Amino acid sequence: MDYGHPLEFGAFINPDSADPAGVVDLARRAEELGLDLVTVQDHPYQPALLETWTLLSWIAGSTDRIRIAPNVLNMAIRPPAVLARAAASLDLLSGGRLELGLGAGHFWDAIAAMGTPRLSPGESVDALAEAIEMLRTIWAGDASTPLEVPGAFHTLDGAQGGPAPAHTVSLWIGALKPRMQRLIGAKADGWWPSLGRLGPGDLAAGNAVVDAAATEAGRDPREIRRLLNITGSFGPTAQGRLSGPPATWVEQLLPYALDDGVGTFVYAAPDRAHLETFATEVAPALREAVATVRDVRETEVGAVVPLAIRAKRREGIDYDTVPAALAATAVEPGHAGFAGVRNTYLRGGSPGLVLRPGDADEVAQALSFARSQPVPLAVRSAGHGISGRSTNDGGIVIDLSRLNRIEVLDAATRRVRIEPGARWGEVAQALHPYGWALSSGDFGGVGVGGLATAGGIGWLGREHGLTIDHVRAVEIVLADGRLVRADAEHHPDLFWAVRGAGANFGIVTAFEFEVDEVGDVGFAQLAFDAGNVAEFLENWGALQEAAPRDLTSFLIIGRPRGGQVVATVMATVDSDDPDTVISRLQPFATLGPLLQQAVQILPYPAIVAAPDGGQHGQGEPATRSALVDHITPELAAAASKLIHSGVSYFFQIRSVGGAVADVPPDATAYAHRSANFSVIAFGAGRTRLDAVWDTQIQPHANGLYLSFETDPRPERITDAFPPATLARLRELKGRLDPENVFRDNFSVAPAKPGLATVAG
Amino acid sequence: MPDYGHDLTFGTFITPTNAAPAKVVELAKTTEAAGLDLATFQDHPYQAGFLDTWTLLSYVAAQTERISLSANVINLPLRPPAVLARAAASLDLLSGGRFELGLGAGAFWDAIAAMGGPRRTAGESITALSEGIDIIRGLWDTSTRERLVVDGTFYQVDGAKRGPAPAHDIQIWLGALKPRMLRLIGRKADGWLPSLAYIKELSDLTASNTTIDEAAIAAGRTPGDVRRLLNIGGAFSTQRSDRLLAGPPEQWAEQLSDLTLEYGFSSYILSGDDAQAMMILGQEVAPAVRELVRAERGADETDATPAVGL
Repeated sequence: MDYGHPLEFGAFINPDSADPAGVVDLARRAEELGLDLVTVQDHPYQPALLETWTLLSWIAGSTDRIRIAPNVLNMAIRPPAVLARAAASLDLLSGGRLELGLGAGHFWDAIAAMGTPRLSPGESVDALAEAIEMLRTIWAGDASTPLEVPGAFHTLDGAQGGPAPAHTVSLWIGALKPRMQRLIGAKADGWWPSLGRLGPGDLAAGNAVVDAAATEAGRDPREIRRLLNITGSFGPTAQGRLSGPPATWVEQLLPYALDDGVGTFVYAAPDRAHLETFATEVAPALREAVATVRDVRETEVGAVVPLAIRAKRREGIDYDTVPAALAATAVEPGHAGFAGVRNTYLRGGSPGLVLRPGDADEVAQALSFARSQPVPLAVRSAGHGISGRSTNDGGIVIDLSRLNRIEVLDAATRRVRIEPGARWGEVAQALHPYGWALSSGDFGGVGVGGLATAGGIGWLGREHGLTIDHVRAVEIVLADGRLVRADAEHHPDLFWAVRGAGANFGIVTAFEFEVDEVGDVGFAQLAFDAGNVAEFLENWGALQEAAPRDLTSFLIIGRPRGGQVVATVMATVDSDDPDTVISRLQPFATLGPLLQQAVQILPYPAIVAAPDGGQHGQGEPATRSALVDHITPELAAAASKLIHSGVSYFFQIRSVGGAVADVPPDATAYAHRSANFSVIAFGAGRTRLDAVWDTQIQPHANGLYLSFETDPRPERITDAFPPATLARLRELKGRLDPENVFRDNFSVAPAKPGLATVAG
Repeated sequence: MPDYGHDLTFGTFITPTNAAPAKVVELAKTTEAAGLDLATFQDHPYQAGFLDTWTLLSYVAAQTERISLSANVINLPLRPPAVLARAAASLDLLSGGRFELGLGAGAFWDAIAAMGGPRRTAGESITALSEGIDIIRGLWDTSTRERLVVDGTFYQVDGAKRGPAPAHDIQIWLGALKPRMLRLIGRKADGWLPSLAYIKELSDLTASNTTIDEAAIAAGRTPGDVRRLLNIGGAFSTQRSDRLLAGPPEQWAEQLSDLTLEYGFSSYILSGDDAQAMMILGQEVAPAVRELVRAERGADETDATPAVGL
């Protein structure tokens, strides 16, 4: 039986504790020789050996490419819950280079002498089965869902799940007997015996047991790799099994590959020279010999998708036809990394497939594939979006996080090319050495793509305008798969629409921005007792409108607690001169009793730092947005009612105006240029928030900022886009996306063809 | 007031967050580049947001050349001592004697039990730690061929082979605040490793030192056998302040040298994950503290004990 696994070759290194440097040196040599795998036996009761996990971690830190595996880990002595996190950690540290060889334990006297319970052979197999289950449960879990795994030998009782390893770590089991072989067939990813302990026919017999158990479990036997530890030596003449010239080795190993299905040969070389001969003479020749026969036999070569992954696939997605360029990086629900890509900042999601294209052409392929599948489509830059869904249930997500390059095109004109998957914190870091910055929002974890197609109301907004006001060109994949460049001369209508309603028209794969010269900035956080909320808001609004453009401040109020309302004003002054900063902030100190204050001169990246790690939101956010020209007494009184109603746990007003208002309303699809303030409320529930917002705030609104609006009612579209803007968007939508592929974020209904025609 | 005369060492306390493993490794390399002596990581195996500390220590040891490494501190209940002993010796051998063993009795019992670990009372956990130390030291001791038997309440070994011996005498440092643990330190450990953030009054340090010293003497050891290490946090700024470790490097140096001369601490381990602060600690504070302490010890003609470890 040949299972068609691509051949791999490894080294079995003796972890001699008397010669640690020699051990590590041999592992490095294995990597230089191009071997696929370096492996180390595990006998924690044996002082002549280095402790295996320590050594493997060290080897991972001393190599760059080669994969590493214990051969095999003594699971009688290693608690599986800690091992799960250790293995994930080593996989993360090494960039996905760990595989796990596991064994049930064998030398029970030595194991018991270490203070570990003695198990019968049957018990040890059952314990290993529980350990396998526990490893996978922890890797698939996340920190917010306590895990309960009852077992006779190993239990989890409320432990956190995760972390997920960097890749799906294979579990290869060392075994000789049928009970273990059945466990392998049912659950494991590989069978890994040593040739020296097998008699004639044992491989075939073992394979039969493994295959039968696999088939019974609904698996394809080809899911299970067959690995073989071998010993032997090289010499001029053949003297029995694996003793002689390399050509004899190839001849003798060939049947193991072709008849017994061995896909991985792991050689315990007696010295460095032997390992070199194995790697340079045996491995390539055996690969070639196997390939030749497979060609003749027309053996299907490659990995099959395991049942565990197939079982978690969703209806409506034809997983087998995912374009090859996307398949390697795609994440399915059954994959190790799924917990890290399913959710967004504020939403829990369960997509059926996350595609992670690496360039514009792959974006087009992803889009084309997604359009051919009868499931929802979401597009994600970094997953911070509130109005933009960027995840779904059972659909496809096009995740742009791998398109994250930031590149200076022309220093003289401060022209910078930025891809949509970069995050604003990273942009700030990249621009800082040039003395530049690009105003974005108030948080560095936000992705470039969503914000730079909607608006961008940020810390430097009044001085430097919206983020979209700095866009000079975009490269965008349209609904029909075309990649076009839109700027003032090319596709000017599209260029107009992308700046404010971009999510409706395609997937931007790169932006060209003209960025600003920005040095260090003054940054203040002032917490006030806002006893009279209405008066406080009105006074703050007036101060902000009267302030020079180099001051942009945002105001945040949480739920009142014990009758007290705390308002935090966060202000940026675009100046590194302490006197200027203080003079700008001075008037604000009179707003009310100061509870806390902090003023610092900081590099711009420090105020938009990007946190590490994925998005782990749950549920569905309820938010509302309004743009207003002024904080009138009426609005201030209404906002006070909203705040005191307790329906909003987070209420924010961001100042806009200044340079934002210099741009004519019809210059971009963000039309509300007269607004000096963006008002936002987050509520615990949709109904209660809407009830208060609709009656209190909405009457004062002059439009909304779509990035903060989650109300699904259709009138929100006309709030986001005034009539002239909306008509122009609908006409363009009718031409560029008549089937409304891009409808996930403030869907503009396409105009029927044949109405207005405007050159685009 | 005690100055135990130990050589001064400085290190970092790095959060082992697994969201960006490369940044964690980079901070350890920064520790080395800053001229510091030691990088340490907390160990909470039940915390899914952290890298596994043992794996990280081994990986980082391979990527550095000079600094010592330690957990701060190892969670013994989830890391059985016999395997831990061999792992520690192995890491010490691989790194050429750069490993020290910070150990803790365990604290978050719900989380430990959730992982399938034991649930122990405070008293039980100290007894278990004491037994663990006996096993660890016993396995490291290859000077005898005597059969290793530790028949403890919580840990037993019965004839486990000794070895491998580490490359150097690995120090066992215990994180502790309360008298029972302090007495264990006096009896059996090589170092006391508290965190400044949990110290209410500096005078408490004197009382704790006394407890350790008395236990050491009662066990036939000397107070100088126990190094005093301190996890510290703080902020560098241009303005001096009357707070501990909030001010310019000179102020830090004065305050740390006081902690050495008045309270006997000789190792300072900085938290905060701030590369810039690590550089200031290594390049400005550490030399200044050494200078201040040397001058004072010279004046008092303190009989400095030989440098241990590090």
